[in-house]
Amino acid sequence: MRVALDLMGGDDAPSAVVDAALLVADTQPDVEIILVGPVDVAERLLAGRGTPGRLRLAAASEVVGMDEDGARAVRAKKDATVRVVHRLVRDGEADAAVSTGPTGATLAAAVLDLGRTARRPALAVVVPTAAGPVVLLDAGATVEGSVEQLVEHAVLGAAYAAALGLEDPRVGLLNVGHEPGKGDPLRREAFAALSAAPLRFVGNVEGHDVVRGGKADVVVTDGFTGNVLLKGLEAGLQRAGADLPVSAVLLGVDGVCVVGHGAASAVDIAACVGVAARAVQQRLLDRLAAALEGQQPAVAAP
Amino acid sequence: MTGEQVLDVIRAAVVTVLEVQPGTVGRATRFVEDLRADSLAIVEIVEIVEEELARRVGPGFRIDDEDLEDLVTVGDALDYALARL
Repeated sequence: MRVALDLMGGDDAPSAVVDAALLVADTQPDVEIILVGPVDVAERLLAGRGTPGRLRLAAASEVVGMDEDGARAVRAKKDATVRVVHRLVRDGEADAAVSTGPTGATLAAAVLDLGRTARRPALAVVVPTAAGPVVLLDAGATVEGSVEQLVEHAVLGAAYAAALGLEDPRVGLLNVGHEPGKGDPLRREAFAALSAAPLRFVGNVEGHDVVRGGKADVVVTDGFTGNVLLKGLEAGLQRAGADLPVSAVLLGVDGVCVVGHGAASAVDIAACVGVAARAVQQRLLDRLAAALEGQQPAVAAP
Repeated sequence: MTGEQVLDVIRAAVVTVLEVQPGTVGRATRFVEDLRADSLAIVEIVEIVEEELARRVGPGFRIDDEDLEDLVTVGDALDYALARL
């Protein structure tokens, strides 16, 4: 299992990323890390730390900054770390890409270098709740929503939940009330479309259902609303001293791509690598493709 | 290439990326206001157009990033491409 890891992504990069790579080498024996970035920077940080055999370097000379327009920057910087991690996946040299760099740049690089398999990609975040995990998507990949997109994302989310082991996942539509007929025209039309889709659609859910769990295993919404909810949820969890979701899986591109939180620690980044490795092991891409083709119901992974 | 052929290349890229009907894409169509293209969609369209035009007329055709802001409509993109081919 080869995971390409963006050396320069995140607030504490590159040192936290190097620490994460060494942590993965210690704790995830099935994973080989390909550390992607300026080789001299990686070598300096690894010097004297007993570089393990399951860690190698791949050169990338450019970095996309937090203040840059992701799509434009990625187009201009063909040798950016966030592009090279995805090209390694595209070229079969890595099985998954992980970056804790700017989300917009990671999304753009994944789309341009891997290609889309869905109309619009979605970021899927697993929210831990007392009633079990809830997959929330789209958490911010595509700001504007459409009915077709919400249905497609619901299908992707259900397939992802099944890959995580959730049998016949219940799908809810994030709305401002539980009753049918609630919400704006997009939500009302999406309710009807989701009811007719080959999904276990349980109707509308509200924001507190994402926090508490129990109503739906998958909650689908547009990327704008999903990101607003996620950021509020993160602040609440932080205040309560609970663990934050640190990774999101990008669904709808032709490769396994995990986006880490910009503030991720070395432990968090290592966890992102674990998420990527599990997605590969569970053949997530095959499951998503089958779900989009409507050929296979969402069967839980063992 | 004729103007109509280049327009077909641009239209095909728009249809592929934004999944709109070809008949809705004309010279006056605005990328952002009418087609609701975000910056990633615009970059995807640009890269597809560059690749297709390079395939047809040879390598070297490129849309400069600093010129993207000026390409408001499909017609703007068409005129820009024709001037550079």
